[in-house]
Amino acid sequence: MEKENLPPVSFAVLDKVLDLARANSLWPVTFGLACCAIEMMSAAMARFDIDRFGAGVFRPSPRQADLMIVSGTVTKKMAPVLVTLYDQMPSPKWVIAMGNCAISGGPFVFEGQYNLIEGVDKLVPVDVYVPGCPPRPEGLLEGFLKLEEKITGKRRFPGPVERW
Amino acid sequence: MVDKTKAELQAAFADLTIIEESYPQCGYHLSVDLKAKDILEVAGFFDERHFYLAVELGVDYKDYLELVYIFSIHSSLCKVKVTLKLDPSQPAAPTLSKIYACAYWYEREIHEFYGVRFEGHPGLTYLFLHDGIDFYPLRKEKIPVSEKDRQELNSYSPALRDDSLFINMGPQHPSTHGVLRVVLKMDGEYIEDAYPVLGYLHRMQEKMAENRSYYQFLPNTGRMDYLGAMSFNLGYVTAVERLAGIDVPARAHYVRVIATELNRICSHLLWIGAYLADLGGLSPFLYAFDDRENIQDVLEAVTGSRLTYCYFRFGGLYNDVDDAFILGTKAVIARMRGRFALYEKLVGGNVIFINRTRGIGVIEKERARKYAVCGPVLRGAGIGMDLRKKEPYAAYPEIDFEVPIGTNGDALDMYHIRIKEMETSLNIIEQAIERLPDGPFIVEKAPKKLKPRKGDLYHVVETPRGELGIYIVSDESDKPYRMKWRVPSFSNLMIFPELAKGNLLSDAVAILGSLDLVIPEIDR
Ligand code: SF4
Repeated sequence: MEKENLPPVSFAVLDKVLDLARANSLWPVTFGLACCAIEMMSAAMARFDIDRFGAGVFRPSPRQADLMIVSGTVTKKMAPVLVTLYDQMPSPKWVIAMGNCAISGGPFVFEGQYNLIEGVDKLVPVDVYVPGCPPRPEGLLEGFLKLEEKITGKRRFPGPVERW
Repeated sequence: MVDKTKAELQAAFADLTIIEESYPQCGYHLSVDLKAKDILEVAGFFDERHFYLAVELGVDYKDYLELVYIFSIHSSLCKVKVTLKLDPSQPAAPTLSKIYACAYWYEREIHEFYGVRFEGHPGLTYLFLHDGIDFYPLRKEKIPVSEKDRQELNSYSPALRDDSLFINMGPQHPSTHGVLRVVLKMDGEYIEDAYPVLGYLHRMQEKMAENRSYYQFLPNTGRMDYLGAMSFNLGYVTAVERLAGIDVPARAHYVRVIATELNRICSHLLWIGAYLADLGGLSPFLYAFDDRENIQDVLEAVTGSRLTYCYFRFGGLYNDVDDAFILGTKAVIARMRGRFALYEKLVGGNVIFINRTRGIGVIEKERARKYAVCGPVLRGAGIGMDLRKKEPYAAYPEIDFEVPIGTNGDALDMYHIRIKEMETSLNIIEQAIERLPDGPFIVEKAPKKLKPRKGDLYHVVETPRGELGIYIVSDESDKPYRMKWRVPSFSNLMIFPELAKGNLLSDAVAILGSLDLVIPEIDR
């Protein structure tokens, strides 16, 4: 195409607006795997209230979601299911690996293990890692903030102030 | 009961050698070693006398494989261990699945983990493992799966069997609470059959136990059943203490009871929230979690974690409780007592809830025994067995409490039982706080390295979901030779296909929810 025929507008601003919208309405897919899923549920409940960040709309169907929180141990039997779910999510999409199991296999790695995927990043690209066994709900919230920062390039709240 | 059983067993099978064991040491009263051909008759004997098959498991002793059956009875305290020695190169045994329905599941598990062939078993296909696995994981040596076995193991494919409509519920389904998969064979809106497929969260806990020392395995227990982590923790430490003969100070016993009961309330609260969410009501979830958070605050202050507790140690506790804990617990009790009326208004008296659960998933006594269901599900069916009363551990013998029993055995009953159990737990905690003795919270010389006596032990405790049995074989080293976890959710799940048959698809959710399953515990 000739250079002159390019549309004379730039989508940069629109992209930014879209990113802002995306970052403030992350819809996670309901996908609890193990212990960490209970802390994910706690994060969605009244005390921690993930809705404050627009991320409380847990969707049972991956086709309506754009964020997958892998909250628990991924086994070899589960791996194809997980990948299918990820593929079914419409782009743009993100993944949070919650807990040590999802990050690296966590406490269940031992020599001769036969059923574990040691880290979900071997299967799907991961955007944010939230360590802990299980991470506290605040930890997951921080993970959300990090993800928002990744999407928009800005942190929603200023980070903690160093006072002493 | 024990003497009577022994006499009758001897009379029925003259050439059997029946050994009387020390119950405090081994956790069972009698042990019998059998030939494979006799097992069916012996099982028939126990079935006639209303025993239930608590667990069936395998142990690989290298020279031979051993099948262990533990028979127990609801109405009194009498446990019999029956063993069967098999040739490790060609292990085969008759199936018990025609006598005890739960054996169908246990035998499938033994088949894929040990390669034991059960003659006459109707469905020896993969249950836990993924298709790619080509050895028997729990055998001590790596033995490849033979080609013939492999075809059979991998043959599970319901769609190939006939052209009915199959619906996959799970492994990602909001109402299976995790990664349970149930394949439902449908006839229109009605369920013709249900096939649970497990193992999506099989974390190799039993294999891991053989690789770790007793201490190293301790944190795993809380991750097996993360909702009743304290109970699992307690079960494990009391089992090992019993095996190794460690005494525990009285104060530790009482604190254990308090912490476990607080955790039991947490677990039941989560069940109420999640169950109601399954049935379509989201607000109870918020209320239940609110209560849960309050209890978790109290527990967190002393244990350091919110969910996967690892608070108990062999011989005592990780640290002592303080006055703040006692005050906090008292506040929780006062608060919870006031909440029951609210739950009654919100849930118990709700017409929609009642109509969706009444008469659904009814469990009769006889069926409950055949499947060896346990916990609130068993008590819902009208059998008032509570291991806290029947085989008391920790400080339970000194505490006075009632065991709630249901009448109909339907899903509504399960709800009421769990509510009443929470009230019971509050009473237990109150008494325990009142009597909490002073003194050390852990034995002075807590062993740094454990080397329990040689032998085996079957120890049970009552978790929020029912009978947790831990079978440990020790070879005097610091690692268990074999550790089998008889988990309550597994035996409660076994009954699901029968309950679901002939019901509507939407009721399957109500039934599955009423059983209160925790999947990582089933899969281990
Ligand atoms: S990281 Fe820990 S808490 Fe989370 S799923 Fe794994 S074992 Fe459970």
